[in-house]
Amino acid sequence: MFTRYLLPAVAVCTLLFAVFQMTKAQQKPAPVSPPIEPGKSPYLKQLAGAGIVESETENIAVGSHVPGVVTKVFVKVGELVEPEQRLFELDDRFQRAEFEVRKAAQMSAEATVKKLKESPRREERPIYEAKLLEAEVNFREQSQLYDRLKKISNTSSISEEELEKRFMGNELGKAQLAKSRADFKLWEAGTWLPDLEIAQAALAQTVAQRVQSEVDLSRLTAKAPHARWKAVSNGTEVPDDAGVKFKVLQVSIRPGEFVGAAAGQALIVLGYVGKLHVRVDIDENDIIRFRPNLVGVAKPRGNPDVGFPLTYVRVEPYVIPKRSLTGANTERVDTRVLQVIYSIDTQGQSLYVGQQMDVFLNAGEK
Amino acid sequence: MNWVALRMLTGDKAKYLGIVFGVSFAALLMAQQSAIFAGLMRNTTSQIRDIEGADIWVMDKSVQFVDDIKPMSENRLLRVRGVEGVAWAVKLYKSVARAKLADGTFQQVILLGLDYDNKDSAGRVVGQPRAERILAGNWEDLEQPDAVFLDEFGWRYLFGDTPYEQGRSLEINNKRANIVGMVKCKPTFQTFPILYTKYSQAIQYNPPEPKTLSFILVKAQDGVPHNELCAAITKQTGMKAQTNDEFFWTTIQYYMERTGIPINFGITVFLGFVVGCAIAGQTFYLFTLENLKQFGSLKAMGVSNLRIIKMVMLQALVVGLIGYGLGVGGAALFGLVFETFVKSAPPAFYFGWQILVIAAVAVAVIITLSAAMSLKKVLFLEAGVVFR
Repeated sequence: MFTRYLLPAVAVCTLLFAVFQMTKAQQKPAPVSPPIEPGKSPYLKQLAGAGIVESETENIAVGSHVPGVVTKVFVKVGELVEPEQRLFELDDRFQRAEFEVRKAAQMSAEATVKKLKESPRREERPIYEAKLLEAEVNFREQSQLYDRLKKISNTSSISEEELEKRFMGNELGKAQLAKSRADFKLWEAGTWLPDLEIAQAALAQTVAQRVQSEVDLSRLTAKAPHARWKAVSNGTEVPDDAGVKFKVLQVSIRPGEFVGAAAGQALIVLGYVGKLHVRVDIDENDIIRFRPNLVGVAKPRGNPDVGFPLTYVRVEPYVIPKRSLTGANTERVDTRVLQVIYSIDTQGQSLYVGQQMDVFLNAGEK
Repeated sequence: MNWVALRMLTGDKAKYLGIVFGVSFAALLMAQQSAIFAGLMRNTTSQIRDIEGADIWVMDKSVQFVDDIKPMSENRLLRVRGVEGVAWAVKLYKSVARAKLADGTFQQVILLGLDYDNKDSAGRVVGQPRAERILAGNWEDLEQPDAVFLDEFGWRYLFGDTPYEQGRSLEINNKRANIVGMVKCKPTFQTFPILYTKYSQAIQYNPPEPKTLSFILVKAQDGVPHNELCAAITKQTGMKAQTNDEFFWTTIQYYMERTGIPINFGITVFLGFVVGCAIAGQTFYLFTLENLKQFGSLKAMGVSNLRIIKMVMLQALVVGLIGYGLGVGGAALFGLVFETFVKSAPPAFYFGWQILVIAAVAVAVIITLSAAMSLKKVLFLEAGVVFR
């Protein structure tokens, strides 16, 4: 019984079990459905790149001329500002004090020049005239004394020595009169011209120092730059700001913070956002497939269903080391990229400056 | 006559059971060992099978298998997107990281970073486990800061028998990883827990590397043959591109060539075969010897040699079938028990149709050899032996 029927029956059962286990292991799950389509390319032949939205003027990172502590910030993020509008101000106490010193120095120099210009001083004339008169009278007295002694010199009533003494007295009186006359003339002539010129030069120097101080003061206030310049007939250029308004994209400073004057700091970022541009990085290996005037679409990260049409603007002719825009943990240079600027049609939707885009360029059409 | 042959077979219970036991033991050993071998090999490719949705894997040209990561520049993704025939391409991060548990111990984990820069319109990403694989938590929670999904075996590996609970966290490279859910993953070869997270998050978990991109997953445009697209990608970008299946076999090939696993399992399977041959062949031969008298009588009655061959073959076939059924059934049962009760290790048992075929062929060879040995004796038998 066992050998004839049971064992074969058990064997059939276990075989069926094995086949069942086999089919279970063999089962393949149906493919993931519906298939997901992340950022599907719209073109048959395409060139892909990473893009970043920027303003038409590119982003202007306003810096500070000098290091210092911020006292006032005049703009808020999102505000529109015109060229020359004040953006922020640094602490100016030191520069203001220096300005006062320079101003005082200038006043002092001005007074010196004025004094020199207004000499001879009228009130001094009687003094000099009196001195002259004194010298004349003295001379007359000495000469009369000497003459009198000379007449009686033949007689031996006076000594040789006495006569000599009177002669010297007469000579001295003459010399004193000459000196008084010269003094009077010098005074009457007033300031010597080179003296005046020296004083005027000193004045000019103090003026220049005051102006320098003023410039130092004005450099503490950062202002919005001019966007455009136009040439005028005499060969110089003047700002052409008609209609230009910048949007304040970022304010990274607050009153009380210290700012340095190092390059590359973005204290306040401005951008002319009339139109938006996309800066597309094209890998150096793909440059050969790039031609100017390729059309394309840009898809924002996280929203692959939306595609913004791109129009070619220009290509940056310098191939730069790639700055990692693709979300890597740090910026590293591993390849070089060609940057191409495209103008983006936002189609009324809001896009933000600095937003990353996946860019697809149509490399198929000639 | 067939009935006579079967009566003859079952007449001696001990020998009959001996032959069946020999065959079934050989079948069991071969089927079970090959299934474990196939399972182990298959486990090496678990991530290839777990990450679904794409057609083609693109990697650095020197990559030898799925765990052999040669990080690439992220610009390569853009270059792959520029290849004609590519519908879409996304990046994938894969690495091994060291996680620190709350009690201060360390554990290696497999990190998978999915490309959240490229979501589809429904907010899903490529490589996202299908709904039935998500055992706990909401997949959307992965977009929370520091969020990771841990796999089921990984949970058991890290937290033992504690059932899943929300709010556990790990520390990887001094950064927090909040476990927000649990997914079912296919068992892995390395046995390490698997963490799913965002690409951008995953690269934070490892010390800074100059290059981070591990794989690029590509979907072919409708109607573009996958192997042609692979060739086009390789031609235009210089990278290695393989379809899911090709990459699966490349990985298995690597382990076949570089490890002793196939040789060890091959030896065991061969031993099973030899033991089967020895037991079944010997017993069957003894059984035939014992029944020589009966065969002699049949011959004396004028039964043709062809008839005798058929009878012996039938006997062999019956024991072969029974033994095979018992053997592979036992192997399948072993697999079921192994998968159900062994919780500490990811199961390595793949019971494919190939296993059944291999065991069947081996059993067929065993019984044919046994029958041939016995037939030699029977065919050269003189009918007169009965009367001696």
